This record gives sequence, C-alpha cells and structure tokens, in this order.
Amino acid sequence: MTLPDRTVLDNGAVLVSQAVPSNPFIAFRGSLPAGTAQEAPDEFGVAEFTARLLLSGTKRASAARLADRLEGIGAALEFLNAEETLGFHGRCTRDTVAETMRILVECFATPAFPPKEVERVRASILNDLRQEADDTHDRANLELARILFPKDHPYGRNPKASPARVRTIRRRDVVTFHEGHVGPDGLILAVAGDVDPAVIEEAIARPLGRLRAEGASSGDIPPPSVYRPRTGRIPMPHKSQADIAVGGPAVARRHDDYYALHVANLLFGRIGLYGRLGQRIRDDQGLAYYAFSSLDALTSGGSWTVSAGVNPANLEKAVRGIRDELDRLRTDPFRPEEIRDGKDNQIGGLVVSLERNGEVASELHRIEYFGLGIDFLERYADVVEDLAEDRVRQVAQKYFDPSAASIVVAGPVGKTRVTL
Amino acid sequence: MPTHVETLANGLKVILRPIPEAKALSTWVTYRIGSRNEVPGMTGSTHWVEHMLFKGGGKLRKGDVDRLVSRLGGKFNAFTDTDFTAYFTTLPASEMGTALLIESERMRNAAFDPREVEAERTVVISEREGAENQPEFAVEEELWGIAFHVHPYHWMPIGYKQDLAALGRDPLYRHYLRYYAPNNAHLVLVGGFDPAVAMGRIREAFGILRPEPALDPMRLVEPEQRGERRSELVRPGSVDLLSVGWHVPPFRHEDTPALIVLATVLGGWRGFSPLGAGAWPSRSNRLYRALVETKLATDVSVRLETKMDPGLLVAGATVAPKASLDRVEAVLHAEVERLTRSPPTRAEIDRAKGQVRARYRYEQDGVTFQGVLLSVMEALDGWDAADAMLAKIERVRAAQVRDVARTYLLETQRSVVRFHAEVPRG
Repeated sequence: MTLPDRTVLDNGAVLVSQAVPSNPFIAFRGSLPAGTAQEAPDEFGVAEFTARLLLSGTKRASAARLADRLEGIGAALEFLNAEETLGFHGRCTRDTVAETMRILVECFATPAFPPKEVERVRASILNDLRQEADDTHDRANLELARILFPKDHPYGRNPKASPARVRTIRRRDVVTFHEGHVGPDGLILAVAGDVDPAVIEEAIARPLGRLRAEGASSGDIPPPSVYRPRTGRIPMPHKSQADIAVGGPAVARRHDDYYALHVANLLFGRIGLYGRLGQRIRDDQGLAYYAFSSLDALTSGGSWTVSAGVNPANLEKAVRGIRDELDRLRTDPFRPEEIRDGKDNQIGGLVVSLERNGEVASELHRIEYFGLGIDFLERYADVVEDLAEDRVRQVAQKYFDPSAASIVVAGPVGKTRVTL
Repeated sequence: MPTHVETLANGLKVILRPIPEAKALSTWVTYRIGSRNEVPGMTGSTHWVEHMLFKGGGKLRKGDVDRLVSRLGGKFNAFTDTDFTAYFTTLPASEMGTALLIESERMRNAAFDPREVEAERTVVISEREGAENQPEFAVEEELWGIAFHVHPYHWMPIGYKQDLAALGRDPLYRHYLRYYAPNNAHLVLVGGFDPAVAMGRIREAFGILRPEPALDPMRLVEPEQRGERRSELVRPGSVDLLSVGWHVPPFRHEDTPALIVLATVLGGWRGFSPLGAGAWPSRSNRLYRALVETKLATDVSVRLETKMDPGLLVAGATVAPKASLDRVEAVLHAEVERLTRSPPTRAEIDRAKGQVRARYRYEQDGVTFQGVLLSVMEALDGWDAADAMLAKIERVRAAQVRDVARTYLLETQRSVVRFHAEVPRG
C-alpha cells in the first residue's frame, strides 16, 4: 500500500486520502471535536441533539430537500455523536462527491435547527432511551461504563443523557453548542476509494476549505477519576436471556502498553471465535452464543470489557468461567505459539481488514485522530513483531485483573447474587 | 467484470471473479438448503448443522478452521437463510489453498461428534434466547407465522426452542449428508488470483467429492390468502411496534423490478444482498415523510423479501412516544393505498432508480461483499441476476409501479402484527 496523502487546509481542517483502485466508489469518515466530551455540565445531552439535527435542514434547504438532494444522487451521509467527537461518514461516487461535500459543509456551516425538527429528535431520543432501558445488553454495558468512569466522565455517561434531561433541552442550547464547537478546527476527513489528486483538490478540499472558524473551541478531555470495583445487578424478569458485562480500566491509545494489551485482548477474547473466552464459554461449555472481550482505548483513558449472553440457569457457571479465564492469565499465561498466532493474525490481517473502502477510510481517520503517523500501516507489522512475549503476558496480568474488575448482570437474574 | 463459470463433473458450479489488483480473496460456498427445506419437528436443524461445520472432520480437527484462518489474519463466518446456507473465508490472496481445504472438508467430511452436537445445543438455544430478548424478533416471527400457513417460511431459520431442545445428533447428521453435496452447492471465488490456477486447485480439492441424488422440487405451495390476518401481541416492552406484510412473487418473477422500485419509493432500498447494504437510513421515502416527519413514528422500514418461493414485502414502524398504533397503522395503509391510486412522480421514480444503482455499486465494496452478492444471486436465480435486474429496473415506468401495487398490496393479502408494549414488572 502506498502512503496516504495528507493535506492541512488553510482553515485548519485535515484531509487524508488513499486511492483503492479495485473498489470504484468513495467512502469517507470524519470527525470534529463536538461530542459528549465537549459538553459542559449544564449541556449534557446537547451533543446528541446536535448530531441528530445536522441533516434536519439548513438555511437554504429543508430536511426533506436535503434528503432528496443526497438520495437523488445515490449518496449517503450520516452524523453521529460519540464520546470524544461529532463523527460523520458517508459514501458517494467520483461523479457525486463534489455535491456530497457541498451538502456536508452546508450542514456544518448553516444548520437551521428548525423547532419542529428539534421536537422530532427529542421524541426519537426518548424512544431510543426507552428501548435501551428494555435491552439487557445495553443496560449491563451502560451501567458498567458508569462504574468504570464515575463522576459523569464523558466515557461513562450515557451520551443521550437521561429522559428527564432530554425533555428540558431547548433549541437555543443546540445553537449555542454548535456555535461553540462546530468548525474546521480539529476537523479530520478521511477519504478512500475512487480518488486521485484532481478529485481531492477540486471536489473535496475546495468545498471543505470554505468552512470558516467562528469561535470553535475544544479543550482537553480530563483523565478518568479514581475507580472502585463494584457489582451491579439489574433484574429484568420478562427477558429470556441475561447479559453479563465484566470490565476494568485499561489505557489510552497512545500509552506505551497499548500494543501489548491489544494483542493480549485479541488472545483473551477475540481471535477466531473469540479467543480463550470463546473457547471455554461457547465452544467447550456451550453456555453462550457470544462471549468475547473488547478493548476501548481513547485519548484520555480506556477500558476492557467482557460481554456474554447466557440462559439465566447458566449465569453462575458462565461468570465462573470468565473468572477462571481471567485467573488463567496468571496460572497458565499465553504460550509462545498463542502469541505467535496473535502476531500473525495482526500482520496478515492488514490485507483482509482493509479490503473495503469504508474500512480504509476508518483506519485513515483513526491514524490521523490519534496522531499515529502517516506511515503507521507501513510500520505496524514491525510494531507487532517487536513485542516481547513476556510483555504481552505482563500487560494481560496487569490489566485483566479480576480483583480490580467490576461486573454487571442484567436480565432474568431472579435472586441470584453474582460476584466475580 | 470478467467472470469465469464452470461446472465440475460432480455438479459443483464454480464462479470465479478475478480482480488482479486485489490483495485478498474471498471464498464462498453456498448450499441450496435453508429452513425452507425443513419439516415440523426439525425446525432450526439447518442452522444447527451450520454451527457444526466449524468443528472439524476429515483432515481438520476441532479448532483447526479457527486456527488456520486466524493465523493468516483472515475472517470467516456463515449464515443460514430460509433458502440457502452460505460459508465464507476471506484471506490474503496467497492463501487460496487454506480456504479450499476448509471448504472441501466441510462439504463431505464434517465430524458431528455427539459430544460436540450436545455442547452446541445450548449455543443455538442461547442464540434464539438472545433474539427473544428483542421485541422485534417476536414481531417478525409472528408476521411470517400468520402470513404462511402451509409453506415452511412459516418459521424462522433459528427454529423453535422445543425442536432445538429435542433434536438428536443422527437426524442432524442425516440432514447434513443429504444436502451437503457438490451438486447442491456453488463455489464463488473473488479476488487476486489467476483463474486457470484457481480452477486447477478447485478440481483437485472438490473433483473427488461424491454427488448425492438430485433433490425433489419444493412441493409445498402457500394457498392464496383470502382476507386480512391480524395478531395483537401484548407483552412487556418499551415501545409499540407495527409490522405489515403482503405476499409477493419469487425473485425470478417478472414483476420483481417494479416491486423493487415500489419498495424504494415507499421506504428506501436496502440492496440485493444481506451484508452489503449497511445501515444507511433513507429519509426521502413516503413512509418517512408520512410517519417520521410527522412525529407519529421514530423509525420506519420497508423490506422486499423476495425469495426462491413467494415471499413478503414488509413495512414496519416504531411508534413515537405520544402516538398511537391505530393512527400509525391508518397512515401506513393510506400511503399504500395512495400508491395503488396513482403512479409515483417522475422525480420519485428517478430517485428510486438512482438509489438502487448506487447501492449496487456500494454492495461491491471489496472481495467479501462481491462474494456474497454473487452467491446470493446464484442461489435465487443466477450469479449475474443483479446486473440483469438492474437493467430491468432502469426500464420500469411509473404506471408499472402503480400496477404492481394494485396487484400485490391488497387488504385481503396482508398480515398485520401489532406489538403493544406493557410496562415490565420487576
């Protein structure tokens, strides 16, 4: 793979791109610092409203007109609020990219936030919150995040806020948040597919360069507060299955332990049909359809989590299995051949995990967002290869520590008291 | 795109699409066996067999599929549909041999170790219970259940829990032996490879496999529905849901192009294949305008479920907090009736065709998605059926859309499921 192109526009926005000749269309992914982390305490929930309202009309075009323009050319564009950013992604063709970018910039620069649309979005968020409240997986994982990142940290609070808070958000809150945070400062746009320098310059950089900074600002994301392990239990007797969420604190994306922990997480609960965890809980014991681990590493911190969905009769057995696998990281650390498999997976996977334009755009965006360097994909195999086996074992033991882990179960848990 | 098609002496149809600049390759083997071929008491058996085919046999021990693919950084999975079951492996282009070994062993040599069958019973039941946690699954199962009384589309590919609890190893193994044969499958290879080299290796890996006697054609035909069918589900949940299904002809039918345009005008187009479409909501369609923009619903969807046998066009809505199911249903029916009264506008037709065209291009993003598209099309009609369908869609006129609405979207042909959310106890 040749190195991606990277351009810093005059207004500060950063554009990274990569041609993928075998896939003749364009995928893009981007972000700017206007997510949950940028909300002041009296603004909780406003970033979610803002993201959902950006396609709801501009000063020139109604929501319906925007939809007709985008879908009339077969393009797609979506905005979504995340912990650290306002994200956006879409797809279009070489012929339609200029118009798609004009619409993107128009949505950022001149949103109308029509009062009727604010009410529609309010109803939509309230419905989503109701559905979340009835979903065992969402309940368990939201509660675990709240425990891992206490004191309303942006990584721990529900980005949609509470139903009571959602009912009080006003249009002018959204306008103020938009004016304060949405602009070219910190904007990253990653593009992959049917592109060349002329398309990048004329159809993408030019419209994006027209976006003006109007007091947009972003501050550092505070590190998470001190965390105390806890146990949570959410009875939902009308459900068929219980969800288990176990987790603990991990590291930020730029931390020295990140790559070793990434490989450790892969071996613990991801590789193939979910690594060691999947082998025990699903394959050997047949307790769950899914049992896997995740590592989320962001700018100021991160977490690891284990998720499993089980029949309530198997709840204790499954939790014991998770605990046993955590303990086994100390009693039966990763063997050399396991670590070799993990490294080979990561090195070989560079080809397979980047076969689609959308995947390439996401990776380019991640590289730019975390400042990993434009040659990151060239270096990645060496980074993984150079990891000492003992380092992988040590970080596994350091972070996947059951004594520092929390557990939440949600579902038909009856009177079962589950501890890790 | 250049595509090489050849059928081996044992009946295995091979479809090769070389993409010289691709660094990965994707192998798809699809069997013409789905829940459509099951009988009462054995529902879910096809899906359970799919699970068993990752557990080794022949030259592969348990865990080998996982290990072989993972070491290479590859991805693999499978899915069971009503009409077919598909397995895929995507690997670096240099590793074709690994993919062919896995698929050729899977085709005839799966182990079905009784202990592994038993361990997998709770896994497939757990998969079903996970789905049962979602009210949307209850609605979907109920809709197909009331719309089909005779045809096996009556049940979901996951099967009934009581069947999953009772099924034994031997019937599952017999199911496997009967349907997993080269003459009941097709192999699709997409990516960076030389077609002549690939054909040589495919003959070597699959040419020796024995075919099975030809399958009997499907005899079960769903009788014409005479009158609306309704079901009111009153269960714990968070929001009210509405789902309406109308009988539509099979994918191969001449009315399908107009039905695709109709579905797109009504609720947006999701694409031809189950993986490639992605979650890209449409906001320029009639149901969104009539239900979401008016705050009656927070979400609408339309799916044209055209299959090997007559299927359903399904329209659904999530009812907004202060709206009523009655009102949402009335508006949905009014929008459908409007389609039967007059043709869509020229702008709507052009936009719908543009959406289908663009989606088709996006569905070919990478070797894995191209593989699923060719595999699904071959199962339903022919590997190049999407290209042919696209050409027919370009010729669809507005009056044809009105005509198919008048033919299929009839009150007497529809099934309605309404989910009334009760506040959960506890």
